[in-house]
Amino acid sequence: MVFNSYIFILFFGVVLLLHNLPFPWKVKKINLLLASYLFYAAWNPPFILLLWLSTVVDYFVGKALYNQSNIHKKRLLLVISLCGNLGMLCFFKYGAFLQDNFVQLVNTLGINFHPAKPNIILPAGISFYTFTTLCYTIDMYRKESKPVGSLLDFSLFVTFFPHLVAGPIVRPPQLVPQFESPHRATKQQLLEGLFLLSLGLFMKVTLADSMLAASANTVYGTPTPLTALDAWMGTLAFAGQIFLDFAGYSTCAIGAALCLGFVLPLNFRWPYGAISFSDFWRRWHITLSAWLRDYLYIPLGGNRKGRPRTYMNLMVTMLLGGLWHGANWTFVAWGALHGLYLWVEKFFTDKKKTTPTLVIPTAAGDGIPESGPVMAKPATRPKPFMGGLPYVLLTFLLVNITWVFFRASTFSGAGHLLSSMFGFVQNGRPLLSTLAMIKISVIILALIILHWRLRDMRLVDIIYRLPWWALGSLWACMLILLILSQESTSTFIYFQF
Amino acid sequence: MYKSPATATVFIGSSRIKYDLDIDTWQKLTGREAIQLAMEGNSPVAILEDLAADQRFAGKLVIDVTELVFFSADDAPVRHEQKEYLDYYWRRTPAQRASFILDHALESQLVFLDKEGLSLNAELDKLTIPNRPNVFAPPIFPLDFSRVTFDRQDKMSPRFLADTNLQHQVQNIWVFLQTAGAAIASQHPSNPTPAIMQQVAVAVAKIKSRGGEIVFVRTPGSGPMAAGEDKGFPRAKFWEPLLAITQCKGIHFADDPATAHFVCPEWSHLSPSDAVLYTRALIGHLPESFVH
Repeated sequence: MVFNSYIFILFFGVVLLLHNLPFPWKVKKINLLLASYLFYAAWNPPFILLLWLSTVVDYFVGKALYNQSNIHKKRLLLVISLCGNLGMLCFFKYGAFLQDNFVQLVNTLGINFHPAKPNIILPAGISFYTFTTLCYTIDMYRKESKPVGSLLDFSLFVTFFPHLVAGPIVRPPQLVPQFESPHRATKQQLLEGLFLLSLGLFMKVTLADSMLAASANTVYGTPTPLTALDAWMGTLAFAGQIFLDFAGYSTCAIGAALCLGFVLPLNFRWPYGAISFSDFWRRWHITLSAWLRDYLYIPLGGNRKGRPRTYMNLMVTMLLGGLWHGANWTFVAWGALHGLYLWVEKFFTDKKKTTPTLVIPTAAGDGIPESGPVMAKPATRPKPFMGGLPYVLLTFLLVNITWVFFRASTFSGAGHLLSSMFGFVQNGRPLLSTLAMIKISVIILALIILHWRLRDMRLVDIIYRLPWWALGSLWACMLILLILSQESTSTFIYFQF
Repeated sequence: MYKSPATATVFIGSSRIKYDLDIDTWQKLTGREAIQLAMEGNSPVAILEDLAADQRFAGKLVIDVTELVFFSADDAPVRHEQKEYLDYYWRRTPAQRASFILDHALESQLVFLDKEGLSLNAELDKLTIPNRPNVFAPPIFPLDFSRVTFDRQDKMSPRFLADTNLQHQVQNIWVFLQTAGAAIASQHPSNPTPAIMQQVAVAVAKIKSRGGEIVFVRTPGSGPMAAGEDKGFPRAKFWEPLLAITQCKGIHFADDPATAHFVCPEWSHLSPSDAVLYTRALIGHLPESFVH
């Protein structure tokens, strides 16, 4: 079930009603759990079994991990959980990919091996709920939090429908305590939630689907060389589409949860206002990058084992982050490019840290280096030149190049488009209409300005700063444009991951 | 579609059968349901192949032949949309099935904006901002050209029928599309017609082997559009070989004096009143098993 459908509105109306009836808290939680299973089964009912399996195994293994004092048994339990979760993910998401690569490898070695292609359907949201359950068992292994008290609470934590299919990826301490005591939205939470739901749908339906998707699809679906203008416009359209689609989903998820009285973690914070790549990853898909940092980068040694190891850990994290998005080498290349950017950024950051009087703006934008020896503190904090706008534009420009690998399904497709973007083709074909280019330019310009100007603010704070008439008008405009868009119920891009 | 062949007839094709078959008249005169699966601007070959592959379908099928789209190559844009729709149909999730039922109920009771003519994008398209040279801009049909009924019949509005300016707009679009179609066909490395004939013959044979019955229909055109079609797709090279290879009955509008002289307001589709007359004539030509 997708948020942008009438059936979801009906479903959500019934869930809201049941959640606000005077039932005991346990009954309300059972209602939410059943509703979440229904929400998930609406894609492909048999895959509910996988969700159950993952939930039950990790609940009991997590408990055993926490209580087990024998380190060998503890490790064995962790291996069981990792194999179960990652094995399922590998089979369903990477099975065909692994087989293809294996066949290519053995064929290259001269062995004639051509097995039948596996017909594996990817269960919706498997990458997201696998990471949710994995972090629980790893936390139990490390004793970083206490085991969840009941199977009902754990099942609801894993399955809670707003975050189940495409995040935000939640950690047990963020959500489980909210299930322990009765939660019902206050009037303010309900209004905020409904506003966020409207905003998320507006981002997805009106801006991503209605204004940008067609141009991105046309440019990326054209095999012939294009003019540099068309190639750039197509990539900018995709940059806007992927943000508005995914951030739109996260905003809907947060809004839907808030309407029920639950708070989910933020997943996006004005990412196109980032002034560096490390800053970008603190703003884009925050819950995934935090997950990768805490459960991959830091366990690999993070930045504690010397400079070469830090660089390697960064790259490994970005490569696996890329692969998490999809079973295709183009996603790995996307991750590699981000890893490379982070290397270059780290190289210059480290270099400047050794220069006594120079202080560069960090990811937090506060002009103070994040770690390492501070040679000299400036008397006053220097303001970044033009509010950091040149950094914002440079980061955005380079991020766009990575999107080519993310969107193109093959390296040759990515190569064609990059060649067109950088003018390496002759007789490129003009493709996009003037109107399409105006739409892309207006939306992208508005996104960059908004993200740059609001980069240190919270969306909810901005909403409350607005006078009632401005907020009301904005909300009404979004709803009118949403209705005027008349888009069909297309799925969100991140569902395929 | 899977209803008893005794109670329903399935129609596939392009826009012409959607305008020219008056469903009320059909249902009144035959007592049978008309399942309209034709799609504007699309070749029906993908749907025909899908019906042939579907073991549950063994009904009565009427195939509208508009040569310009029917004999287009497999990779032509007029073949894409039906494939997408079929893909969606077969991969529908339970949520999408439930959404369909809900949408169906809502759309039968409430007024919704026509996406093609009144959505935000459609309104912006009306700004007619000039494009760079060689940029293809899809033509914009006047809203009054097409009013779609709940059972998928297309009808021109009374305003369209009264306004020759609107009719000229659509005539210009046909000229543009005919020229563009001819240009695309001339660039195609090989003549796709023999392969399409074979594709259609195989699909028809499959449906017939299950007891299904098929009739091909060529609906009326007039003016320069009809002249262009006669020249580009002569009967002897397209229509007659199609009937011969499929061993099916064909009903060509030009063979019956009652349907040969219809004047289409925009050269290609019948007005609602002529659609009633055409439907009556079509019923008279169809085999008994299709109409009783």
